[in-house]
Amino acid sequence: MFELKKTLTYQGYILLWGQIRDFLITLGNIGCDFSRVLKYLLSLRVNIKETIEQSKRFAYDSLPISLTIVGMTSAIIAMQLAPELARQGGGDYTGTLSALVMIRELAPVMSGFAIISMVGSSFASEVASMSVTEQINAMRVLKVDPVEYLIVPRFVAGGLFMPVVFIVSATFGLICAGLVSNWCADLSLLNYITSLWHGLYIRDIFIALLKTSFFGATIALISCSCGYAARGGAKEVGLATTKAVVWSFLAIAFWDFVFASIFYL
Amino acid sequence: MTLEVKNLVKIFDGKKVLDNISFRVESGYTLGVIGFSGSGKSTLLKIISGILYEDEGEIITPKDSEIAMAFQYSALFDFLNVHDNIAFPLVERKDYRKKYSKEQISKIVSEKLKMVGLEGIEEKYPSELSGGMQKRVGFARAIVTNPNIILYDEPTAGLDPVTSTMIEDYIVRLKNELNASCVVVTHQLSTIKRAVDYVIMLYQGRIVFTGSVNELLSGRNEYAKQFVNASIHGPMNIATS
Repeated sequence: MFELKKTLTYQGYILLWGQIRDFLITLGNIGCDFSRVLKYLLSLRVNIKETIEQSKRFAYDSLPISLTIVGMTSAIIAMQLAPELARQGGGDYTGTLSALVMIRELAPVMSGFAIISMVGSSFASEVASMSVTEQINAMRVLKVDPVEYLIVPRFVAGGLFMPVVFIVSATFGLICAGLVSNWCADLSLLNYITSLWHGLYIRDIFIALLKTSFFGATIALISCSCGYAARGGAKEVGLATTKAVVWSFLAIAFWDFVFASIFYL
Repeated sequence: MTLEVKNLVKIFDGKKVLDNISFRVESGYTLGVIGFSGSGKSTLLKIISGILYEDEGEIITPKDSEIAMAFQYSALFDFLNVHDNIAFPLVERKDYRKKYSKEQISKIVSEKLKMVGLEGIEEKYPSELSGGMQKRVGFARAIVTNPNIILYDEPTAGLDPVTSTMIEDYIVRLKNELNASCVVVTHQLSTIKRAVDYVIMLYQGRIVFTGSVNELLSGRNEYAKQFVNASIHGPMNIATS
C-alpha cells in the first residue's frame, strides 16, 4: 500500500521545511533581540562597566589571531603579485594594489573571520551556557534584563572596537606586504610606500571603518542571540555556537556585498 | 504580603501542563508543592516568578511585592564571585542602582551571607563551593532585596541528609525573619515535614490534594498516600505522568 509519509519526496520536503523553519526562527530571534538592543541604545541605557569589559575582549583577545591572518594573507598575496608585476614592468603598482585590496576587502573580511572564531564563538557558548543553566532566568527573576546586561554591551563593544582591530590589522598587513615585495621582487621600500600612498583613499578608509563597525556589531548580535535562544543541555550549547559562527560568516558576506553594491557599483 | 494564584492554566504544544490551579499563601506561611516529575511544579514556580507567562488565570500579588526565587541548581553567575553574585541585583537593577555605596553593598552582602551561615567566602567563585554552599549562596542572593514572596525550586535535591536538614532550617528561618510567603517545590518528605505549613499535590497539571502536612501523612487521600508510601500502585500512573 502506498504511504505518502514513507516516500523520499515527502521526507525531503519535511527536511527542507525544517531547515526553512529553523532559518526563519533564527532570523526572527535576531530581529527581536536587535529591536530590544536598539530600544536600549536609543534611550542611552548602556552598561558602561560591562561594555568596557567586553571591549577589552573584543579588541585585545582577537588582535593576535587577526594580525596573524591578515599579515599572512597579505604576505602570500604580495609573494605572488610582486614578482609578476615586476616582470611585466608594473612593480611600482604593488603598493597601490596592496592598499586597495587590503583596505577595501582583505583586512575587513579577514579580521571579521578572526573575530568570529575568537570572540563570536566565545560569546555564543557563554550566553548559551548561561541559558541552559538557568542563569538567564535568574537574571529575569532578579529584575535585570538579560538583553541590557548581556547583549547591549557586547553589541556596542563590537561596533566600536572591530574598526580598531581592522586599523591595526590592515597596517600590519601593508607592512608585511611591503617587506615581502622587497624580499621577493627586489622592490625598494621607498617605492612601495610611494605606490601605497597613491592607492590609499580617505573614502576607502572611511567605508572600511563603517563596514567593520557593522561587521563587529552584527557578529556580537548574532552570537549573543543564538546563545540566548539555546535551550536544553550541552548539545544545544554546541549547536548554538555552530549556528552563531555559520550565521556570522553569512552576515559578513551579506554586509560586504551590500557595502560593495552601495559604494563601488 | 499574600500570594494568590487563581485558575491558572498553562499550555505547552496543545497539552495543558497546569489546569485550573488555585491557591493562596499568607505572609509567614510556607506552601509545599509536591508531585511526580513532569507534574507541572517547576512550571508553576516559573509562572509565579515571571519567567513564563500564564495562558489563563492570574497571579495576584500586592503592588509593592518583591518576588525572589532560589533555583534547583542555584543558577549562580559563574563569571562572578560570591560577593558580586549576591550584590548583582543591588548593582544592576534599575531601581537599586546608585541607591547604595560600595561599602553599604558589601555590608548588606555580609549580612545576607551571615543569615545563611556562610561568612568570609565573598571572594570565592561558585565553582569553588560545594552543592550545599551554592544553594545557600543562591538563597542569600534571593533575599538580598528583602523579598516578601520567596520561591524555592527543589531546594534539597541532590544534597546529603545533613545538608538537607540545614537547608530546611534556613528556609524556616528566612521565612520567619522576612515574614515572607514561601512556596517550596520538592520531592523530599523530610522537607515537607520540617519546612512546610501546608501542601498541595499536583498530578498531570491538576491539584489532587490540598491540606496540612499531618493530613498529607495521614493517608486519607489516595494520591497523597501513594506519594508518601512511594508506591507504584495507586491512582497515579507514573508511566504516563
